[in-house]
Amino acid sequence: MFGRKGKKGNYAYTVARVKAKKSQLMGDDAYQKMLMMSLPEISRFISETGYSKEITSMTGKFTGINLIEHATYANMASVFTSILDSATGELKDTLAADLERWDIWNLKIILRGKSFGIDLDSIREDLVPAGVLDAEDLEKLMSLDVDDDIIANYGRMTGVSIPQSVVAEYKAQGNLAPIEDFLDKHHFERLLATIDSRSRPTRLYQEFIRKIIDTINLETILKLKLEGIHGEPVMKYIISGGKDIDKKLATQLANAETIAEAENDLAQLDMYEFIKDALGKDTHSLKDIVAGLRRYKMKEASTFSHLYPLSIIPIIDYMLHKENEVNNIRIVARGIDAGLDKEIIKGLLVI
Amino acid sequence: MAADLGMIMIGAGIAVGLTGLGAGLAEKDVGAAAVGAITEDVGLFGKAMVLMVLPETIVIFGLVIAILGVFVLPNM
Repeated sequence: MFGRKGKKGNYAYTVARVKAKKSQLMGDDAYQKMLMMSLPEISRFISETGYSKEITSMTGKFTGINLIEHATYANMASVFTSILDSATGELKDTLAADLERWDIWNLKIILRGKSFGIDLDSIREDLVPAGVLDAEDLEKLMSLDVDDDIIANYGRMTGVSIPQSVVAEYKAQGNLAPIEDFLDKHHFERLLATIDSRSRPTRLYQEFIRKIIDTINLETILKLKLEGIHGEPVMKYIISGGKDIDKKLATQLANAETIAEAENDLAQLDMYEFIKDALGKDTHSLKDIVAGLRRYKMKEASTFSHLYPLSIIPIIDYMLHKENEVNNIRIVARGIDAGLDKEIIKGLLVI
Repeated sequence: MAADLGMIMIGAGIAVGLTGLGAGLAEKDVGAAAVGAITEDVGLFGKAMVLMVLPETIVIFGLVIAILGVFVLPNM
């Protein structure tokens, strides 16, 4: 009874901490204010709302949009790392397994950046060292020029080795899809395997992850459909383990030649409410569909976090909301930098 | 009589001891959560303090029983 805390993890402490952090996240009115500001004003504004450490430390190195982009991702990484550092026991293990997605994100950014010949500073702008790999490890990976070396070093650093067959497929095709697909599938397989489903909170977390897999699969299916790809090639990218979208439904959705044909099947899903407006438009907009799915993910995280407060889900809920805040700040900053109309920027935000 | 008084004292001790353990168990999670919340927002100190001392009421119930036992029962 008394030894429970060390094994299970410090849920009460960590959840109370993230709940306090969540109450400090920006609301709708903050984005409205930012839309009226210039880039230096946005930098000053966000430095007053939790990003001060990063803005202050990076002011000498970057200016304008670069400062905001670097500072927001650096802040997100440090917040996620501090949550992981303060967690103990089973909670820490599960959180670390979830944060592994940022290692995958970083590897994808580095490989994509290198393959398109993008300079290191621009690659660095999009890195989030919130997983196993810290900023130093990522610098090491970036300093390597050959993809094979990057992949081999990544495998050594994270313990996730990419099979030779996948690397060979990538080399034959010349695009990163096989590697990205392998990493995503491997992450979710490992994450689902990490979750011990014997207790109610972990079962709920497992159910939540399976719902997240559904959103990713649906996004993949719809993205490819908009590109005119359907049938078997789509199924190759489907991640197994989804809750509502099983293999049969995924095949049905993938086989439909147009979105309109798949609409009856889509209408059975919980997330349909969030994307039906985007699907109803004559010209289906991918950004509206993605935004709808993001809203669905955040709503599901909030719902699940109320079902069992002393579990990992309130922490994941906060992380999703924090990620969304950072994305929104970057959207506003990029929009203003590009001189976009305020209404267009507002349409891109997920609030 | 001395044996009865001894039993009353043991009862009083058990009442205070067990309620103390109960309060401790309850405060373990409340305290951890309070520290977590205060770490992020010092303004929550007042609310956290109130929530932190709420489980102390359990000990007060035990203490009342113990006082009744020690001071009232021997005179009955």
